[in-house]
Amino acid sequence: MHQTSASVRTDPPQEPPAVVVRALTKVYSSGGSSVRALDGVDVEFARGAFTAIMGPSGSGKSTLMHCMAGLDTATSGSVRLGRTDLTTLTDKQLTLLRRDRIGFVFQSFNLLPMLTAEQNILLPAQIARRRVDPERLAHVVGVVGLDDRLDHLPSRLSGGQQQRVAVARALLGSPEVVYADEPTGNLDSRTGAEILAFLRDSARTMEQTVVMVTHDPVAASYADRVVFLRDGRLVDDLAAPTAQTVLDRLVGLEA
Amino acid sequence: MLRTTLAGLRAHMGRLATTVLAIVLGVAFTTGTLVFTDTLERSFATQVMGSMERVDVIAFPPEPDAGTDPEAGPPSFGTAALEEVRGLSEVTAATGVVFGTAPLLDSDGRTLGAFPTAGTSVGGDVARYEAAEGRLPEGDDEVALSTLSAEQGGFTVGDTVSVLDPGGEPHDFTVTGLIEFGLEQSVSYRGAVAFAFGTAERMVEGDGFAEIHVRAAEGVPVERAVTAVAGVLDEAADVRSGQEHGESLASAAGADAAIMGTALLLFAAVSVFVSALVIHNTFAILVAQRQREMALLRCVGALRGQVFRGMLLEALVVGLAASALGTAVGVGLGLGGFALGSEYVVSGTDTPIEPVVEAVPVLAGLLVGTLVTLVSALVPALRATRVAPLDALRSSAVADGLEKGVGRARVAVGAALFLASGAVLALTLSTEAGTTGMALVVASAMVCFVGVLAVSPLLVRGTVRVLGWPLRRLGAVGSLAVDNTLRSPKRAATAMIALTVGATLITGYSVISSSMRVTMDAQLAEQFPVDYSISPQLSPDGEEAPIPDSVAAELESSPLISSVFTSRSASDENQVFVETYPGAELGTDIGNGEVEGDIGDVGAGSAAVGAGTATELGVGLGDRVELESAEGRVSLTVVAIVPGSGGLSGVTTSVTDFESLFPEVGAGYLYVRAQDGTDLKELTEVVDDAVADHPTLQVASAAEIRSEFDRVLETMFLVISGMLGLAILIAVFGISNTMALSVLERRRESALLRALGLSKARLRRMLGAEAVLVSLVGAILGVALGTLFGWAAGRSAFDGMLFALPAVEIAGFLAAAVVAGLLAALMPARRAARTSITGALASE
Ligand SMILES: Nc1ncnc2c1ncn2[C@@H]1O[C@H](COP(=O)(O)OP(=O)(O)OP(=O)(O)O)[C@@H](O)[C@H]1O
Ligand SMILES: [Mg+2]
Repeated sequence: MHQTSASVRTDPPQEPPAVVVRALTKVYSSGGSSVRALDGVDVEFARGAFTAIMGPSGSGKSTLMHCMAGLDTATSGSVRLGRTDLTTLTDKQLTLLRRDRIGFVFQSFNLLPMLTAEQNILLPAQIARRRVDPERLAHVVGVVGLDDRLDHLPSRLSGGQQQRVAVARALLGSPEVVYADEPTGNLDSRTGAEILAFLRDSARTMEQTVVMVTHDPVAASYADRVVFLRDGRLVDDLAAPTAQTVLDRLVGLEA
Repeated sequence: MLRTTLAGLRAHMGRLATTVLAIVLGVAFTTGTLVFTDTLERSFATQVMGSMERVDVIAFPPEPDAGTDPEAGPPSFGTAALEEVRGLSEVTAATGVVFGTAPLLDSDGRTLGAFPTAGTSVGGDVARYEAAEGRLPEGDDEVALSTLSAEQGGFTVGDTVSVLDPGGEPHDFTVTGLIEFGLEQSVSYRGAVAFAFGTAERMVEGDGFAEIHVRAAEGVPVERAVTAVAGVLDEAADVRSGQEHGESLASAAGADAAIMGTALLLFAAVSVFVSALVIHNTFAILVAQRQREMALLRCVGALRGQVFRGMLLEALVVGLAASALGTAVGVGLGLGGFALGSEYVVSGTDTPIEPVVEAVPVLAGLLVGTLVTLVSALVPALRATRVAPLDALRSSAVADGLEKGVGRARVAVGAALFLASGAVLALTLSTEAGTTGMALVVASAMVCFVGVLAVSPLLVRGTVRVLGWPLRRLGAVGSLAVDNTLRSPKRAATAMIALTVGATLITGYSVISSSMRVTMDAQLAEQFPVDYSISPQLSPDGEEAPIPDSVAAELESSPLISSVFTSRSASDENQVFVETYPGAELGTDIGNGEVEGDIGDVGAGSAAVGAGTATELGVGLGDRVELESAEGRVSLTVVAIVPGSGGLSGVTTSVTDFESLFPEVGAGYLYVRAQDGTDLKELTEVVDDAVADHPTLQVASAAEIRSEFDRVLETMFLVISGMLGLAILIAVFGISNTMALSVLERRRESALLRALGLSKARLRRMLGAEAVLVSLVGAILGVALGTLFGWAAGRSAFDGMLFALPAVEIAGFLAAAVVAGLLAALMPARRAARTSITGALASE
C-alpha cells in the first residue's frame, strides 16, 4: 500500500472513477511573468471515496480543485466528471454543472448572512428550482446535528455550526462530487474532527465522493486516500492514511 | 493622518465616483441657474439699452389726475409741444410718437389675440427702433409688425396684412419689416403694428403724441438737453434721459429674471437636498466597510479625534473637488442653456449674447457642494469614531452589513412628527381655502417627510415584505433580492428616500393638476353648460365695446340653437362682484349643483351667492346681502349658495336688481347653447356667420377652452417634470452607488452563489431586482405622500375641489421607477457578474 507512482489505479476496474484529470496544466500569466500553478497533473478520484489533497503552500491544491470544480478553466489538459469533459464546456454549461452535479464547502464564508441555516441549506435546490425530498433534508440535517438551529442566521451560529450547515448544503443534493477547500482550516481541532467525521461518514454511508484540500495531517487521516502535490505536480499517493504516515510523507516532500 | 487620508481616498476613488457625480449634478444645477439668471438679466439690459442708445431724451405726457374725465382718452402732447422742443437750441431733432390701438387681423379676418394690437409710428428723425428684419415702413401701404405679432399671426416680410382703422374698416398693408420692441411693456403682451408717421395718424385712434424722442445738439450734454426740454413742456411731463429710461426698463426686466431665477433655484435646492442624501449614504456605507481599517488605525494609536478629522478631511477633499467640477459644468450648463433657451425667453435673438460669469455663482456652487458634503459626512464620521477598536477587528465578515432593528427613539420621533403633521393637516382642512391653507399644507408635508425619514427603515421593511411576497414566488433570484434589500433597511431607506423626494413632488403636482382639470370640467359642465361664448376683444383701458344686439338676434333665429343669453357684470362699491344673465333660465342654462338652495329661485329681491363670496360677506342661505352702487342700493335674500369655482363666483341677481344698480353696464359675454345632438361643425358655421361682420368679437368654444386649459396644465407638467428630472437622476445615481458599494462588499457572496450554480444572467437579474425593489419602494412612498398632500393642497387652494387620481401618470411614474432601478443596477450588476469566482473566493 506504499505507492510512489502518481498514476496507479486504486479503484476497482468495474466502477469508472467519478473524476478523471489528465495532463492538467494551469499557467497564470500576469504581465511578463508567468506561474505554472499546475504542471501536467494526472489523477483520478474513485466514486464513493473520500480523498485528501495535500502539499506545501503554493503547490497548486486550490488551483487543482478550482479546475476540477469548473470554477476556473485550465490552460491545457482535461478534466472529466463522469462522462462530461469540463474543458469543453462554456461558462453557462459550467454553471449548470456546478449547480446540478457538484457540492462545495469552503474554508470560510460559506453561508449567505441574510439567510437562515435552513435557507442556506436549501439554496442550491432553490437556485436549481429542484424539489427537495423532506425526508432527505431531515436525514442530512440529522446527520450533521443541526435540527435545533435551522432558523438561526449564520451570525448566531458558531464557526463549527456554520461549517456543518455548509456540509449539509453540499450533501443535500447528492452531487457526483463534493469539493472541500480546507473545510476545517478555521476550526479548533475538536470541532474540525466532527466535520471531518461527517464527511467521512457520508462518503461511507451515502456513497458520496468527497475531495478535500487540507494542510492538516490529522484531517487528511480521515480520508481513504491522500494525494500529494508539489510545484504543480502530483508527487505522491497514499491509501488508508494515518496522521503519522501523512506527516512522514510531508516531511519527505519538503526535504 | 493627512497622508493616510489621501492614500485612503486614492484607494476608494472608484467607490466615490458616483458620489462625486451626485455632487457635481447638484452643484452644476445651482451654479447653472445663477449663471443663467445673470446672463439673462444682462441680456435683457443690453437689449433695452440698445434701443435707447439712439435716443438722448425721452418725454412722456403727464399722468392724468385721478379726478379727470376718463372719457378724455390717454394723455398726449400736442403738435405745439413738439414744435417747441424742435425749436430749442439744445436739440438737433425731435420726433413725436403716435401710439394707440390698431387691431391686426389674422388670416381668417378675425382680430389677433385677446387684446387688440398696439399701433404706433416708427421712423422719423429720431428713430428709437430699427427693423430686426426687413426695413421700417415708409409708404402709405406699408407696415412693420412686432416680432410677437408676426409670430402669432404667422406673418413674414412681404405678406399682406389687414388692420382695422379707428372706424373698424379693414385696410391692407404690405409687411416691410419686423421690429423687436423688446421689453416695452405697452407692447410686449399684445404685439404691435408700426406705420410711417402719416399712416399712423390715420390708422391709430387718438391724437397727439404719446412720447417725444429727442436727439441733443452736437456738444450739448444730455442733462442740459433734458432740462431744456422739460422747460418747454408741461411741468408735470416726465422728461428723462434715454439712458435713465433704459435703466428703469432694464431693472423691471431684471426683476422678471430674478423671479425666474428664484423658481429655478427652488428646483436646484431640491437637487442639492437629494445629492445630500446620496452623499450621506455613500459615506455611511464607506464607513461601515472601512470599520476594520479604522479600528486598525485606532489600534495602532490613532486618537478618536484623528479618525474623525480624517473622515471629515476626506469629505472636504471630495466635496471641494466635486464642487469645483460641478461649478465648471454649471457655468457651461448655464451658458449653454441660455444659448439654447434664450430664444424663448428673450425675443430678438440678434442681440449678441454676452456670457456673464460672476463670482457669486461660482462661490455659491463651491460652498453649497462642499458644505453639503461635509454635513452629510458628519454623522458617518461620528459613527466611525465610536467603533471600539477590538470589536471591529473581531467582527466577522458574515456579520458585516447586517443591521436589524430601528431604534425606539427613531420610531418615537417619527410618530411625534406624523402626529404633528396630521394635526396641521386637519387644521388646514377645517379652515378656508386660501394661501394660508396652502402654506400649512406645505409645512405639514415637510414635517411628515422628516417623519418618514426617521422611520424610513421600518417603511422599507414593511413595503419590501409586501412587494417581496410575489417576488419570492419567482424563485431563488427574487428571494435573494428581497433578502438582500431587507438585510440593510437603513441603506435601502436612504437610497430610496432620495427618489421619494422627486416622486412626491411630481405626484403632488399631477394630483393637483388632474384634480383641477376634473373640477373645472365638472363645474363648467354643470354650471355653464354652454357650447360657445362670444365676448368683445379686451381693451387695454378696460372699456370694452358691448356686443351688438344683432349678433344675439341672428343666433337666436337659428334652429340649431336652443338658447342664447348674455351676462353682465360689475363690481359694487364694496368690490363685491355682481352678475346677471339676461335671457338665461337660471338652473337650466346656468347654475346647477348648488351647495345649498336652488338658483332657479332667483328673482327680483333675491340672489345666489358663490361659496367664497358668501364666506367673505358672512352670509348664508336666507340671509340678506346688501349691494350698493353710485346709482342705487338693493337688499337681496340669499336663495342659493353655488360652488365658487364654476363661473358663478360672485352675487348672481335678477336683471331688474342688476339694472337698478348698474343701469349702464351692457352685455359682456354672450353664451350660446345648442340643441342636444347638434353637429359641432354646423354649429361652428352658424356662430361664425353671426360674428362675420364683427371681426373684433372673440369666439370661444367650450371644447377649446377646455383644451386650452389642458394644454397649459400639460406644459406646466412637462416643465416641472423636467426640472425635477435632475433630482430624480441624482437619486438614481444614489441607488446605483449603493448597489455598487454593496456589490463590492458582497464579492464573496456573489462568488459563492456563482460557485453554487447561479448563472451570470441570474446574478445580474438578482441585483437588478434588488435595485428595482429599492426604487419601487421609493416611488410608491412618493406616490402615496404626493397623493395625500396633493389632495390636501388642492382642497386648501380651491373650494369644492374634486379629487382625481392621475392613474395613468402614476402608473407611468412606477414604470419609470422600475426602469430607473434597472438602469441603476446596470453597471454594478455587470461588474458583479464579471468578477472571477476564484479571485473573489481567495480575497478576504
Ligand atoms: N490568480 C492568480 N494569479 C497568479 N498566480 C496565481 C493565482 N492564483 C494562484 N496563483 C499561483 O499559483 C500557485 C498555486 O496556487 P494555489 O492557490 O493553487 O496554492 P495552494 O496549494 O492552494 O496554496 P495554499 O496552501 O497556500 O492555499 C501559487 O504559486 C500562486 O502564487
Ligand atoms: Mg489554497
